[in-house]
Amino acid sequence: MNRLQVRKVSVTYRKKTGLKPVSLEATGGEIIGLIGADGAGKSSLMHAIAGIKSFDGEIEFDNHIYRSPKEAEKVKGSIGFMPQGLGLILYEQLGVNEHLDFFADIRGIKQDSAFRAYRERLLRMAGLSDFTERQAGRLSGGMMQKLALICTLLHRPKLLLLDEPTTGVDPLSRMELWDILNDIITKEKTLCIVSTAYMAEATQMDRVLLFEDGEIIDKGKAGELIEKVRPFSYESAPEPFENSITIHGYTYSLKPLKLKPKEPTLDAVFFINFLKKYGPIPEISIVHKDRDEDVPATIMEAKGLTKRFGKFVANDHIDMELNRGEILGLLGANGAGKTTFIKMLLGLLPIDEGELFLLGKRIKSANDRQMLKAKIGYVSQHFALYKGMSVRENLRYFANMHRIEPERTSGLIKEYANTLGFYSYLDALPTDLPMGINQRFSVAAAIMHEPVVLFLDEPTSGVDVVARATFWEMLQRLKEEWNIAILITTHYMGEAEFCDSVVLLRDGKKIADDTVKNLYQIHPDAHNFEDIFLDYYKKAF
Amino acid sequence: MRIGVIKAYFKKELLDIYRSKLILMVYIMPSMILILFGYGIKLEVTHTRTLIIDNDQSKASYDLVSAFEHSKYFNSEVKNLSENKALNLIKQDKKDLIIIIPESFEKHLLKGLKTSVGVYIDGSFPSRAKTTENYVNGVIYDAIMKRSGSEAESRALITINARNLFNQSLRDEDMIVPGLIGLVLLVAPAILSALLIVKEKEKGTIFNFYSSPVKKSEFLAAKLLPVLVLHGINIFILFLWAIYLFELPFRGSFLLYIFSSFIYIIISLSVGLLVSIITSSQIVALVLTLIITIIPGFLYSGMLMPISSMEGESVIEAHIYPVMYYTHILYDVFLVGDGLSASKNLLYLLILVGYATILLSIGALLLKKRVA
Repeated sequence: MNRLQVRKVSVTYRKKTGLKPVSLEATGGEIIGLIGADGAGKSSLMHAIAGIKSFDGEIEFDNHIYRSPKEAEKVKGSIGFMPQGLGLILYEQLGVNEHLDFFADIRGIKQDSAFRAYRERLLRMAGLSDFTERQAGRLSGGMMQKLALICTLLHRPKLLLLDEPTTGVDPLSRMELWDILNDIITKEKTLCIVSTAYMAEATQMDRVLLFEDGEIIDKGKAGELIEKVRPFSYESAPEPFENSITIHGYTYSLKPLKLKPKEPTLDAVFFINFLKKYGPIPEISIVHKDRDEDVPATIMEAKGLTKRFGKFVANDHIDMELNRGEILGLLGANGAGKTTFIKMLLGLLPIDEGELFLLGKRIKSANDRQMLKAKIGYVSQHFALYKGMSVRENLRYFANMHRIEPERTSGLIKEYANTLGFYSYLDALPTDLPMGINQRFSVAAAIMHEPVVLFLDEPTSGVDVVARATFWEMLQRLKEEWNIAILITTHYMGEAEFCDSVVLLRDGKKIADDTVKNLYQIHPDAHNFEDIFLDYYKKAF
Repeated sequence: MRIGVIKAYFKKELLDIYRSKLILMVYIMPSMILILFGYGIKLEVTHTRTLIIDNDQSKASYDLVSAFEHSKYFNSEVKNLSENKALNLIKQDKKDLIIIIPESFEKHLLKGLKTSVGVYIDGSFPSRAKTTENYVNGVIYDAIMKRSGSEAESRALITINARNLFNQSLRDEDMIVPGLIGLVLLVAPAILSALLIVKEKEKGTIFNFYSSPVKKSEFLAAKLLPVLVLHGINIFILFLWAIYLFELPFRGSFLLYIFSSFIYIIISLSVGLLVSIITSSQIVALVLTLIITIIPGFLYSGMLMPISSMEGESVIEAHIYPVMYYTHILYDVFLVGDGLSASKNLLYLLILVGYATILLSIGALLLKKRVA
């Protein structure tokens, strides 16, 4: 019986703690989900079990006990591990068949007829049967991930460790990945440990472990976990209560409130945990700014914007409109063309075809943009902060860059730090900050010069539930206070809820563009945006 | 070790090198360096250790001696020795140049009779020897011209009897080409082996090794064999260039050439392996490998300066890097042909084997099958 026992395993990286002592027991046929933000300890646990990272404590699998990567060698034959990152284990230059041959050979699999049948079955399930000659570098993100999964399944592992296999993958491919997994697990009685950034996937799992700051804060069936926080979840309160968190239409409180209870989701577990640990979320406000009324109603208009890299079309005739006082969500899987589009807007990539209007002005050359730079704020995918400078120094640098008068700068930095709640971190280095603080301070750097439009590229990926919610709350306020236009990209389909309108990209093409309200009206049976977008993905084929 | 695993990796590596066009670098870079530098390098020589034997002891001979003493190209010493003893000094590598002024040098000049000055140059470094000869000619003709007035006259009066010891034919290529082979075969395999490993780290495919039962020895063999095979072919290509393009003689044993070259490639790819252990991006690995191979490769290959004329720390450094030992063997197989009967060659070959074993072992030991 593929039995896994993890006894008091902890992981450290040089000085930092990656994972505090964790114990776990599981048997074949189970799916165990690890849920939490980047750096919460999910990968550390996986690496320890996979025997590729030194750890303290003891792991037993298949009656083998190991305490180090060296001792884990003997179980590696029966483990399949897929690390985090889209198609990370694939070789760009090798074709689909060549991958399967390679993985079969390094695992020393006998290529008999039973194996060939299994291999064909995997190829069929992954929908790759027709692409056996195509090189991995030329597959779409979803296909790459499916190929990586079947390569990991090729030696019929008894223990399957998948580190965020679905992050950044389109909803349709994500469903197919889960289909393959469920099929294999029922037939082969595999023990499967999956980490995910998507709360919605927790329902697919037999048990979930919720991670935060290197600790497991709760574990059990998703239903049980939700049951535990039910007494603390209420309909959103009109006035803030003491010691409570009101966010995204919910109010969470440890003490009973005279409010209508509301059906919680797994997110609630994180809020309740936060409340227990740190108390309520510090209030965020926005620096006051006089509204300029001479800003045109249409901030950005793209007509047939196209970008090609060689033969590959990254953006195929995209039309889009961004209005004043609107949050527009640009959604899509990794590789759908979101970042390319933003980069064209900013002039970081030349436009191959189409017309672009910013603030009513047709943009043809770099000169046209120069005038507008002062009106645009931009936060890049990995937060373009200087790691060797403190938060204060970074902000001063950005202020200088935007030609804010030096006498005003110090006061301004204090004001933003106070209102956005990172005052106590002003003299810390960006690398020492929690992700959520980093995120807010990056936004501060981008809005200090009071732009009329803000472009945000994947600001929420890998950030924990509480910080993400706070971040969206901040964007809402910013929009209301400043009447600013915000264009934000994300691969979390669920975040569409917090936008005013959304544009959905798939393989460089626009497949949906509507306001959030309309989308709900058109799809009355949809529970959430995952369902709505799945519909568009299916139609686009 | 399981052959199947190594074969799978080997096949994948070759496909990858071919499809990513790395193959161009493997075969174009070494030949390019050899051809560019083989034609390109010309060297200036200063501070030639010079012995002047003045058999005349006259005003004219003193003038000539002082002309040498005042030149920065020569460190001259005047001594009365027999010709044989003086030549021995060159053989012992204590002098590079011997100038013999004949008796009745002044008398002949005054009478307008022809006279000849004997010059012996250490020919073991042809480029230096040739340059030295030109300088010597210049100094002598210049000194005589001051007396006679015109250059034509001084040329008519004096014959310079220059002879090179050891290396009669005197061609730059003979010295530079083996040195370049020593340089190229240190740089190129190191780069390829470093890239093959670091590429997997950078892309993340290294996890396939970490998380599978593939053994460390299998992974190493799989990564290093393609380098050995691909650059093994370069040993022959470079040999052909040397013989047919640069028309070098080949006096030694071909087997010794091949064997020592393969050992040397193992040293080089071990250097690449060590670099790949401490780096995780391809560009850093490339720059680091270039720096730690090219500089010693150039300095200690004997191309720029013979190791024998180095002093102090540079002698120690030259002996630390493996380049010197290999190029010594190369000079022997191309130019001398003593082979392993010369104890120095045998010793150097053993030193190379030692280097290969030690570097490869350290690399294998430091390579970890887990994330940092």
